[in-house]
Amino acid sequence: MKSLVLVKHVPDSNSPFRINGSANWIDDANLSFVLNDYDRYALEELLALKDAGKVSEVVALTVGPAAATSALRTCLATGADRAIHVKDEALAGCDPLSLAKVIKTAIQNEGFSLVLAGLQADDDNHTQVGALVARLLDWPCATATLRLSLQGDDTVRVERELENNRLQVVDLKLPAVVTVQTGINTPRYASLKGIMAAKKKEIRTVALGDLGLDAGTVGGSAARMKTVRFAPPPKGKGAEMLEGSPDEVAKELLKRIRERTGVI
Amino acid sequence: MACRIMILAEHEDGAVKEISFELLGLAHRLAGQAGWKADTDIKALLLGQGADELAKTLVERGAAEVIYAEGAAVAHYTGDGYRRVVEAVIREESPELVLIGHTPNGWDVAPLVAAGLDVPLATGCSNIRLEGGKARFVRKAFNGKFVHEVEIERASPLMATVDKGVADPVSTHIKGTVRKIDAPVAEGGLRARFVEIKKGVSGGVDLTQAQIIVAGGRGVGAPEKLDVIRELAQALGGQVGASRAVTDAGWLPHEHQIGSSGVTVHPKLYLAAGISGAIQHVAGMKGSGYIVAFNKDADAPIFGVADVGVVGDLFEYLPALTRAVKEAKGGRL
Repeated sequence: MKSLVLVKHVPDSNSPFRINGSANWIDDANLSFVLNDYDRYALEELLALKDAGKVSEVVALTVGPAAATSALRTCLATGADRAIHVKDEALAGCDPLSLAKVIKTAIQNEGFSLVLAGLQADDDNHTQVGALVARLLDWPCATATLRLSLQGDDTVRVERELENNRLQVVDLKLPAVVTVQTGINTPRYASLKGIMAAKKKEIRTVALGDLGLDAGTVGGSAARMKTVRFAPPPKGKGAEMLEGSPDEVAKELLKRIRERTGVI
Repeated sequence: MACRIMILAEHEDGAVKEISFELLGLAHRLAGQAGWKADTDIKALLLGQGADELAKTLVERGAAEVIYAEGAAVAHYTGDGYRRVVEAVIREESPELVLIGHTPNGWDVAPLVAAGLDVPLATGCSNIRLEGGKARFVRKAFNGKFVHEVEIERASPLMATVDKGVADPVSTHIKGTVRKIDAPVAEGGLRARFVEIKKGVSGGVDLTQAQIIVAGGRGVGAPEKLDVIRELAQALGGQVGASRAVTDAGWLPHEHQIGSSGVTVHPKLYLAAGISGAIQHVAGMKGSGYIVAFNKDADAPIFGVADVGVVGDLFEYLPALTRAVKEAKGGRL
């Protein structure tokens, strides 16, 4: 059974972010990038299935600029067998639906039975690409899963995280797309041996033309969802900031807690 | 039987979920902005089996018409079952705007429908504005560190998922109606099958009833360091909460997790220590009476929702507060 993980190269969330000159996204110069956190869990889930002999191949795919290769290298070093990098300058600024169309086209003839993705990316937080791809392929999908098991060779059983500490157990007929919530497993790290082995693994680079797609249809210039404003969040009511030594601050806090809540 | 705005209702345990009423409230506000007629242009779509009574509650909360699609295939939520019905009803009704909750089932089904209809989807919206023939969707990026506003063009319908708690329900005098239809989907045709709902493992912690919560986040650094949180909670007579980072790492059981994917809490006093304030966390605690935040990063979004904030080392400030609380209680612990 061939499997695929969709991954994204995102800025490290601990980075000091600045808004770019066009005021439509962050300035990504001088930022360090990492494999999206959710995707690490998705990859681990497939690697564990491969260790258990239930999956024959784990492929990683990303759509992104040249630098996004590093996310694929991380996947290969951690244990993925090969990687596909869809890279085309015309894709900059494309919307999630166009991105999903690109991914669908890139994978539709690969014969994957199980496609995993992170629930969302830590940068754009769109929370939709995995499910979009599923619908475009006309495959079933389940999001935010905290447990996954293959039942025979035609079904995957997942437990989806709902609100209030509940889980929904659902069976999907394969092929299927499943998005993964953090905490589903403990992702492994790349070993030195893995890093060395990764150098011999294939990263196939694909451009829009190779997929028979047209930038005028799926590229950034054709995006139907466009950023019109990107800004720091409003301070809201804004916290009153207390300064001073820990004991001074504690005294002030205690006073306010007593006045405002009556719980002490 | 066209309409302008359609909301997708959700229900659980025999009750319509609050997000559905919030979506109707938002729909009323938007109808006002766009000059649409709230008494005819807003519809709610409800799916289920034996849910006739629930359909009536939506009529009382602002839906001019509730389309209740009933069938065994949608007795329980599955993405595959729901999306077939939602897609078919949208094609029939051709609304200009479709609103779905940014909830586990909402973010599961919304992209399936959007891709089926070939329209973009704005997710996790905190506001929507219909102005001058354009629709602007206000959402967040970088887990709440930035506001990301998008416009959608050349798409019908416009589709969005909306965060919980960002719109107020309305009470209206609209006399709506319920129209029951057979869900246009057969169980045999689905490739997703509902198995069961499981309740998570519970060690008896119920944060939803807590009056005081002291919550720790990634900034606490290590599981053994959580004592600083426990000691303050104990001094205050409160409960220990956590952000997702802490429960994912296994430092505390999942039942302590506060946020959109954990529990939603409403204590009188909420203290957040080492929690940056990602949207997922804030969604679960912003209804707290009084919020105190400790973080080493002065730009942490948690200070945007807190009443009072302290920038500094929580391992210095929390123990000092613990001592002050104990002193104030005068040994009555």
